[in-house]
Amino acid sequence: MEKAKISAYQLFVLIVLFELGSAMLIPLAIEAKQDAWLAILIGMAAGFCLFLVYYSLYAYYPDTPPTDYAQKIMGTVLGRMIAFLYVLYFVYLSARVVRDFGEMLVIVFYPETPLFIMNALMVLVAVYTVRKGIEVLARTGELLFVLVSLLAISGLFLIVVAGIIEISNLQPVLEEGMKPVIKTAFTQTLYFPFGEIVVFMMILPYLNQPKKAKRTGLLALGISGVTLALIMALNTSVLGVATVERSLFPLLSTIQAIEVAGFLERLDVSFMVASVIGGFFKITLFFYVSVAGTASLFKIKEPTQLAYPLGVVILLLSMMIASNFTEHLQEGVDIVPLYVHFPFQVMIPVILLIIAFFKKGKQNDQAINK
Amino acid sequence: MNKLNRKAMFLFFIMISTVFISGCWSQKELNELAIISAMAIDKNEDGKYVKTIQFVNPGNVAGGLQGGGGGQGPAVTVYTATGDTILEAHINASAKVSRRLYHAHANLLVISEEVAREEGIDGIIDAFERDPEVRTESKIVIARDAKAGDIVKSLTSIDKVPSEKVNKTLLVTERARGENIVVSIQDFISVSASLGREPVISGFRIKGEPEKGKKMENVQQSELDATLEASGLAVFKEEKLIDWYEGDLAKGTMWILDKIQQTDVKVSWKGKKNAVVYNVIRQKTNVSADTKNTYPEMTIHVRAEGDIRELTTPVDITDPAVISDLEKEIEKEIKKQLEKAVTRTQKNNSDIFGFGEVVHRTDPEKWKKMKRDWDDEYFPYVNVNVKVDAFIRRTGLRTNSFHSNTEK
Amino acid sequence: MVPFFKRKKQSNKGKRQERDSSGSSKNSAEEKDFIGSSLAANVDKIRQKTGYSSDLVIRLINIGPQSEIKIAVLYVKGMVDSQSINDFLIEQIMKNKALQEKIMPNEALDIITEEAVALGGVKSVQDWEELFTVLMAGNTILLIDGINKALSASTQGGARRSVQESTTNVSVRGSKEAFTESIETNTAMVRRIINNPNLWTESMKIGKMTKTEVSIMYINGIAKNEIVEEVRKRLKRINIDGILESGYIEQLIEDQTLTTFPTVHHTERPDCVAGNLLEGRIAILVNGTPFVLLVPALFIDFFQSVEDYYERFDISTALRFLRTVTFLISLIAPAVYIAATTFHQEMIPTQLAIIIAAQRESVPFPAFVEALIMEVTFEILREAGIRMPKAIGSTVSIVGALVIGQAAVQAGIVSPAMVIIVSMTAIASFATPSYAVAISARLVRFVFMISAATFGFYGIILAFIMLTVHLCSLRSFGVPYMSPLAPFIPGEAGDTILRKPIWAYSKRPHLISGENKVSEGKHQKPGPPGPRNMTNHYTEKGE
Repeated sequence: MEKAKISAYQLFVLIVLFELGSAMLIPLAIEAKQDAWLAILIGMAAGFCLFLVYYSLYAYYPDTPPTDYAQKIMGTVLGRMIAFLYVLYFVYLSARVVRDFGEMLVIVFYPETPLFIMNALMVLVAVYTVRKGIEVLARTGELLFVLVSLLAISGLFLIVVAGIIEISNLQPVLEEGMKPVIKTAFTQTLYFPFGEIVVFMMILPYLNQPKKAKRTGLLALGISGVTLALIMALNTSVLGVATVERSLFPLLSTIQAIEVAGFLERLDVSFMVASVIGGFFKITLFFYVSVAGTASLFKIKEPTQLAYPLGVVILLLSMMIASNFTEHLQEGVDIVPLYVHFPFQVMIPVILLIIAFFKKGKQNDQAINK
Repeated sequence: MNKLNRKAMFLFFIMISTVFISGCWSQKELNELAIISAMAIDKNEDGKYVKTIQFVNPGNVAGGLQGGGGGQGPAVTVYTATGDTILEAHINASAKVSRRLYHAHANLLVISEEVAREEGIDGIIDAFERDPEVRTESKIVIARDAKAGDIVKSLTSIDKVPSEKVNKTLLVTERARGENIVVSIQDFISVSASLGREPVISGFRIKGEPEKGKKMENVQQSELDATLEASGLAVFKEEKLIDWYEGDLAKGTMWILDKIQQTDVKVSWKGKKNAVVYNVIRQKTNVSADTKNTYPEMTIHVRAEGDIRELTTPVDITDPAVISDLEKEIEKEIKKQLEKAVTRTQKNNSDIFGFGEVVHRTDPEKWKKMKRDWDDEYFPYVNVNVKVDAFIRRTGLRTNSFHSNTEK
Repeated sequence: MVPFFKRKKQSNKGKRQERDSSGSSKNSAEEKDFIGSSLAANVDKIRQKTGYSSDLVIRLINIGPQSEIKIAVLYVKGMVDSQSINDFLIEQIMKNKALQEKIMPNEALDIITEEAVALGGVKSVQDWEELFTVLMAGNTILLIDGINKALSASTQGGARRSVQESTTNVSVRGSKEAFTESIETNTAMVRRIINNPNLWTESMKIGKMTKTEVSIMYINGIAKNEIVEEVRKRLKRINIDGILESGYIEQLIEDQTLTTFPTVHHTERPDCVAGNLLEGRIAILVNGTPFVLLVPALFIDFFQSVEDYYERFDISTALRFLRTVTFLISLIAPAVYIAATTFHQEMIPTQLAIIIAAQRESVPFPAFVEALIMEVTFEILREAGIRMPKAIGSTVSIVGALVIGQAAVQAGIVSPAMVIIVSMTAIASFATPSYAVAISARLVRFVFMISAATFGFYGIILAFIMLTVHLCSLRSFGVPYMSPLAPFIPGEAGDTILRKPIWAYSKRPHLISGENKVSEGKHQKPGPPGPRNMTNHYTEKGE
C-alpha cells in the first residue's frame, strides 16, 4: 500500500466518475423498456446493500487492503488464492472497459483507425497516471469532475431548451408489471455498474476519515444512480424506446438531436469529452487496484514498477477478449454478470464477511471479557 | 534522478513514436472533402437505385474571398450514380468525384414518389441510420410529381445551396401555414418503429421547368424558371406512400399532431364566405382515449388562441358578443378541418395521428391485443370526438374595419 | 573552498576554534586569516589581494596629538556614498579636537568607534575574509596601525536605480512602486507596508564568487514553520559560483524540475509581496534584482493579480473568469481548430464549414502544418520584438503584421481563419497576468497541436487529462500545486477563479499558513447605518 491519503470528497468524486464511466454510454437496463430508469434505481438500491457488505469488511480491517485481510480471514493459502483471483478480475474488467471505449471511438469517431491504437493511447495515459499514485488520481478526479458536471448540466439544459423531450415516450409506466424491471435490476444493473464498486474495497483503506466512508459511499452511489436513471429517462423520452433498444450509444444520439438557436448543435464532441474522461477514471481505477493488489500480494517494494507490465497485459487482453464487437457485447450482457460479477461482487465478499464476523466477533468478545 | 529521467524519456519516446507510427488514419482536410449537402434517391428502368448527390462548391457559396469570386459559378454541383443498393450507388459515385464524399453536413434526403409508393422507404433508411457519418437529423422530403434527382439539381436564389432552401422553406411554412411537417430521419425511424403510429412526410415539387432550373440563368432573374415549393403531406402505411393530403386535410392532420404553430382560419359571417380571417398564434391539442368498449373512443381537444387579422365585410368586432359568436364560428371551422382529416385517414387505414400510441399509454393491457391489427382492424372504426375551444385575443391595430364607416 | 565558505557565517569566537581544528585545510593555510597589526603590511596585503585594482581607494591619515597614529581608510570607488565618508568619517576624525587630544594608540579603534564615527552601521572586523566581503559590498574599512582589528562602517551608496514604476506588473489601481536592484531598499519597501515586529528577515550570502545577499522574509506566526525551515534548508544547499538573478535561486529550490510550469512565484511589486506574506507565504529577496520570489506558489496564484483585491469582488471575479478562459484559449485554440478541421468536420456548423473550406481551397498545406507555420512565425516575431531596440521594434511589428499576415493570406499560403485563430491565441496568451505561466502555455500548446493533428479531439482530451494529472502531481514546497481546487478546500475555493468579497475572508489558506489562521474579524460586511425602507416620514422627528 502507498503512503497516501484521500479525503471523503475525493472518494465521492472517484466513485461517481467510476460509476458513470461506461454505464452512461450504453443502453443500460433497456430490457426493462421504458422503465429502464426504474430498473436502474432498483439496481442502485441493491447496490447500497452490496456496498454495506464491503463497508462492513472495511470496518473490520480499516487499515489493510482486501488482498491482505482475505489472507487473515481465510488463511494464507486460500486467502492468497482469493486475492489473486481478485487481481485477475480487476485486470479483466480494466481490459473490458478499455475495449468498450476503443470500440466506441472507432465506431463513432475514427472508423479508419485501428482499435489497437485507440486502446494503446488510453492505456498509456492510464500507465502515466497509475505511476503517479492514488492521491494524484484523486486530485485529477476533483478537477475533471467539475468539467464533467458542467458538461452534464449544460447538456441537460440544452436538451430541455431544445424541446425534444417527449414525456409520453416514458409511458406507460410498468407496462408489464414489476417483473421485468426487477429481473433487469438483478441480472444486469446490480452488477454493472453498481456492483463494480467492489474495487473501492481496495481504495477505502486510503481514506483519511474512515468515519465518513459509509456516508460518502452511499451518497456517491445514490447520485450516480440517479444520474444514470436520468440519462436513460432522457434517452428514452427523446429517442423513443424502439430507437434506444437498437442504439449502441443512445446518449450520443440524444446529444445529436440537440438543436438550439441555430448554432448549438452537432455537440458530439462534448459526448466524447465526457465519456473519455469517465472511461479514463474507470480504466485507471481498475488498473491502479490491480497494481496495488499485485504489489501487496507478491510483496513488491516499488508498486509503480508494475505499471508498465500490467499495462501491456491489459492492452493485449483488451484486444483478445473478443474478436468482434458483437461478441464483446454478448459476453458483457450474458456471461460476465452471472459468471464473473456475481461470484466476485456478491459471493466472495459475503462469505468473507460471515467468516470475519465470527472471527472478529469472538475477538471482540474476548477483548471485552478481558 | 537518472533512473527517473530514463523512465521519463522512455515514456516520451513511446508517445512520440505512437504519434508518428500512427500516421493519420481518420484525418481528412476540409478542402479534400466533397461536402454533400443533399441526396436524392430514384429508381431507374432496370430497378437500380439512382443516387443523386448534391455537393457544395465552397468557393461559390462563401462570398467576398479572393480567388473564390463568390457567386461566379453554381453553388452546388450534382453527380448521379447507380447501384443495386444505396451503399453501392454511393461507392460508385466516387468514380466521378475527385474528393472524399463527406456526409456529415448533408441535411436533406429527397426520395422520389415512385420509390416511396412502390417499395417503401424502410430499405433505404437503414443505410443512412447505420453510417456514423450521416446525421439522422437530416430532413426527409418526398419529391412530388418529379424525379427526386431534379429537386436537388435545381438552383435556387437567396439561399444559394438548394438543400438549405428546402430545409428553411419547410421550417418556415410549418410555422406559418401549418400544412407541412418537418421530418428528420430520426423522427421517421422512431415513428415507423412504433406500432401505434404511421409516418407522414412533406412533399416538395418543382414549379416550372426542371431542365431550366439546372442552369445558372435560373438564378439570374427575378422570377425563377423553376422554383422548389413545399406541397402536401405524404401519408404512409407500412413505409409505403399511399396518399397525399393538401389544404384543409393537411392542416387538420397537423392540428391533431399538435404541430400547428400559426395558421389562418377563414370563417363566414352572415352568409358571406371568407368574411373573417383568424390567425392562430398558439394552440395546444390533446388526444385522449377511452378504452371501455371494443373500439377505443378518441377525444381530440384543441385549444387555440389568436387574433383577427382580416375583415372583408363590416363586422362590429368592438362588441364582445360578436367576438364570442365569431369564436364559435372559428371553432366550427377548425372542427371541420379536423374531422375531414380523420375521416380520410380512417378510410386509408393508416394511423398517422398516433392514436394507437395514446391507446397504448392509456390501457397497455388492451393494447397488447390490438397492436398487431391496429391499423386495419381497429383504427378505421375508432370513434373520434373533436372539441375545439378558440379564443380571439386581439384584433390588430384597428378596431372596426373602414368598411363599417362607409356603410353608415 | 567549501569549508572556507561555510565558516564565513560563523561568529568570531567560533571561528577561532574552527581555525584550530581545520588548520590543515589548504586554503586557510595559504591565507593569513587574521588581520595583522602592521598598517603598512595590511594595506599591502589588501592591494595585493585586490590586484592593485584602480577603484580601490586607500586614504592614509595621521591623527593624534603628535600625528603619531596612522590610519588608513579604504573603500571601493562608486560603491560608496563618498559624501558620508567625507562628512561623517574622515572629517570627524581629523577635525575633532577633543578626539585628537584624547586618543591613545592602543585604544584608538574603540575611541574612534565610540566617539568619532557618525555612521549607523559600524562593526569591528577581525579576519581578512570578512574584511574583503564587507569592503567589496561597499562598506568603508578603517585600519589603524598597531591594532589587529579593522572597523567597517556601512557607507553603501553610489548610483543605483531609484524606485520606479513597475514595468512587468503594470496595474491601473494600487501602489505604483516597484522593487529596485538594492536589497535594502526592497526590504524597506515591504516593511513600510507591514509595520510589525513579527515581520522577520534572515539574511545569507549565496554564491561562492558573487556572495550575493539573499534574505528570506516572513511573518512569524503566520508563515508555517515547516515551510520556513524547508526554504532555509533548500537555500543553504545551494553551492554555485554566482547568483545573478532570483531566477537562479528559483531553479535551484524547485520541487520538480521536469515541468514547464513554475512552482515559484515572482513579482516586482511590494504590495504583492506584502499580500502574500499576510497569507503565510515566504518571500526570498535577492540583491541585484527587482524580482522577489514567493513560495509556496500555487497554480492559481499565477492567474491572480494584486489588483484583483483592490477592485470590487464582482468585477474581479468576472476578470478572473476571463483569464481562465483566455488561458484555455491560449492553450488549446489552435489544437481545437486543427482537430475540428481535419477530424471532426461534422461538429462545425454547416455554414462555417463551407466558409472554412472555401478559404482552404487554395492553401497547399494540411491544417496542422499551416498552424505550425503561423505559430512559429508568431513566436519568432514576438521574440524578435522583445530583443529589438525600441526604435526598430515598431518595424518588426509592421513587417510581421502587414507583410507576413496580410501577404500570406493574399498569397493563399495560409487561410484567414488560421490567422484569426493564431492572433486570438497570441492575444489570449498576453492576457495571462503571469509571464511564467503564459510562456509554459506556449510550449504546451505545441503538444496539444501535435496530439490534435494525430488523433483529433481524442488526442486533445488525452493530452488534457495528462496535463491535469501532471499539474495535480506537482507540489510547491510540499503544498499540492492545484490546491485549493484539488484537493478541494471549500472555504478557500472562493479565492481561486472566483474572488469572494473582502469582508468574507476570515481564514488564511490553511495549507500555507501557520498557527495564526484568522485573518479577519467577524461581521466585516458593511451596510447602511439604519433601515431606510418604507419608513413613514411623518412619524420621523423633525418632519
